[in-house]
Amino acid sequence: LCLLMPTYKLTYLHLRGRAEIARDLFHLAGVPYEDIRYRLDEVPTISESLPFGQVPMLEVDGKKLPQSHAINRYLANEFGFAGNSAIERAWIDAVADQHRDHEIEIWPPFLIHLGLEPGDRDSQMKEKIEPARDKYFTILENIAKENGSNGHFVGDSLTWVDLLISEHVYTFTQYFPGFLDAFPTVLDTVAKIQATPKLKEWMEKRPVEKF
Amino acid sequence: KTMPTYKLSYFPGRGLGEVSRQMLHLSGTPFEDNRITMDDWPKHKESTPFGQMPVLTVDGKQIPQSFAIARYLANQFGFAGKTPLESAWVDALADQYKDYTTEIRPFLMVAYGFGEGDKDKLRKEVAEPAINKLFTILEKKAKENGSNGHFVGSSLTWVDLLVSDHMGILETHVPNAFTAFPTVQDIRKKTTSLPKLKEWIDKRPVTPF
Repeated sequence: LCLLMPTYKLTYLHLRGRAEIARDLFHLAGVPYEDIRYRLDEVPTISESLPFGQVPMLEVDGKKLPQSHAINRYLANEFGFAGNSAIERAWIDAVADQHRDHEIEIWPPFLIHLGLEPGDRDSQMKEKIEPARDKYFTILENIAKENGSNGHFVGDSLTWVDLLISEHVYTFTQYFPGFLDAFPTVLDTVAKIQATPKLKEWMEKRPVEKF
Repeated sequence: KTMPTYKLSYFPGRGLGEVSRQMLHLSGTPFEDNRITMDDWPKHKESTPFGQMPVLTVDGKQIPQSFAIARYLANQFGFAGKTPLESAWVDALADQYKDYTTEIRPFLMVAYGFGEGDKDKLRKEVAEPAINKLFTILEKKAKENGSNGHFVGSSLTWVDLLVSDHMGILETHVPNAFTAFPTVQDIRKKTTSLPKLKEWIDKRPVTPF
């Protein structure tokens, strides 16, 4: 079995960030991989070897693949965390892309609020972060309910979009306790996701990173 | 097995809906090309899953988000690459294109007439760097793929359609945008001359985007 399995290498930063869903998938599948983490200032030194000059990057038997959602979907398909029908797969993709749009809105003010990017720290929460949260999580709350409040956002088994949302909720509730109290079905769904044994194990032992 | 009924709902424009329309035309699949004007949109917004368009309705089931729709149709009709890694590379290029659309958006909004701004300044400071960044990646990928008329693999994929159509819109606002990217231009030429696609392009409504 080991001879047939590809060798996997994941290159990213000392962060959970855009690589953590891939790491979660490897652990859930019980598949070994090389978990390479660079400092931000080291990335220019490896830029030439990155297809889009960016991380994360996955290598499968030496074949390179960039872009986090492409990586997540590829591994999810390989390991069985990609939904059980074409329509389900489309809905997983749709929620993942909606999530990506949300991250584009919420991350810049989040970084300013933390003082990691220049800007007016005091205004970010009320003016940017909370509205972005409310807009997106209202949709997610409905999605979780319409899916049957069954511990998943799409379908009835664990998928990569469950992990995407779970990791995001983990980070934001760590920084802002109570941040998502208005979205109880989302919180309940994430609690069930995070109780998945192999995921729980990884979350407890993984390197502690800023986000 | 009977063919599903398809309805694609979007604004009267190419934008985020065109790649899906093209795959439906290329596969010879009948569909309702449901164009909703900006004026009528508020009436329909609540009936969409995320308050946005495009939405694909397949036998009454709605799918939102343009790339989820495109990938679904691509998988149905064989435009998603021939191996899992090829499909993943199509996805990666499409997402890189999406990042580019976020970068170039301030210019395009003014160019399309949806906002006020100094079009020339934005072209120089926003559009040209974004175009160069994306198209350098695309040119490299096209060459690595064997300069065979496709970005990935050896048959048409939805990223060939996505980039080719965008180039048609962009060049009306950024003249000579693609001079430095001859292999990408070849992909566009080969893609847009496919008979069923050319037929659609020649008869489709002419729209500002």
